[in-house]
Amino acid sequence: MAADPNKLGIFVTSPQHMRHILGITKAAVRAGKEVMVFFTYKSIHLTKNPLFRELTELCPVENIAICADSYICEGYDNVNDVPPGLIDKQMRTQAFHGAILDECAKYIVM
Amino acid sequence: MESLKVYILIANRVYNDGIRSGLGLAVENHYAYPVIMNGEFPRFSDYMSENIAWIMDMEGQVYSCGAEAPTELPADAEIANISLEELGEAMRDADVIIPYGLPKQSHEPPAACSE
Amino acid sequence: MSDDAMKILQVYRSEPTDDIKKLVEILNRDRVADEFKLYDGEPNYDTLVQKIFANDKTVCWW
Repeated sequence: MAADPNKLGIFVTSPQHMRHILGITKAAVRAGKEVMVFFTYKSIHLTKNPLFRELTELCPVENIAICADSYICEGYDNVNDVPPGLIDKQMRTQAFHGAILDECAKYIVM
Repeated sequence: MESLKVYILIANRVYNDGIRSGLGLAVENHYAYPVIMNGEFPRFSDYMSENIAWIMDMEGQVYSCGAEAPTELPADAEIANISLEELGEAMRDADVIIPYGLPKQSHEPPAACSE
Repeated sequence: MSDDAMKILQVYRSEPTDDIKKLVEILNRDRVADEFKLYDGEPNYDTLVQKIFANDKTVCWW
């Protein structure tokens, strides 16, 4: 399957840039683009930022995922503490990053 | 599905998880090239060394740029040396470049980080 | 697409170091290069998204 030219992938590896992630996603949606976001390693702490919920409301539920292993490694409970806005099956593996690379013609790291 | 060449640049000792992330792409049939910049090496646990070896098995390579790569790692893991210029030239062929995590810190880690 | 025609966007989350400047110089050689500074005042995200979609490749530095 060829990557969709109207799809933007955001690979989040830093715990510092929620404002940029939200700003870029809002701008992309305004421009009629679809956005996929994957949070990995220490960036999963951003799921505790109130802006995370806002981000999840901008994208289809299947387009936002976090690395379950990272979430557990950082001490969170992936069963009883699923971040608001996320559904439990979006606690994913690094394969979701692979899916972003496959599906999104445009891509940015945060 | 096209196999992509992915460079993952690690500039901060805390973010050697970029190696695991590279392995995640390698098992998805991409070519993963994690690059540890300026000697920000991880502790070479068996898990870390096995990941490095596995990336090599999947036709990728972990590099060190800006510091001599350690030798005699566990699990037959190898880290190859690459200069900044060589890295730049190699990345011209990259499909994806991922500056991973945080930039380098100004100070050495305090003793509290040692465990 | 020929290598010469590649359009590349360099995005900076903080002031680039000398290492980053050197890598960018090599990556941009013989290409149509653009840049966007996220650390410089309040970013215009609409402009950034426009640039991401106008370029073939985006590199977002630390």
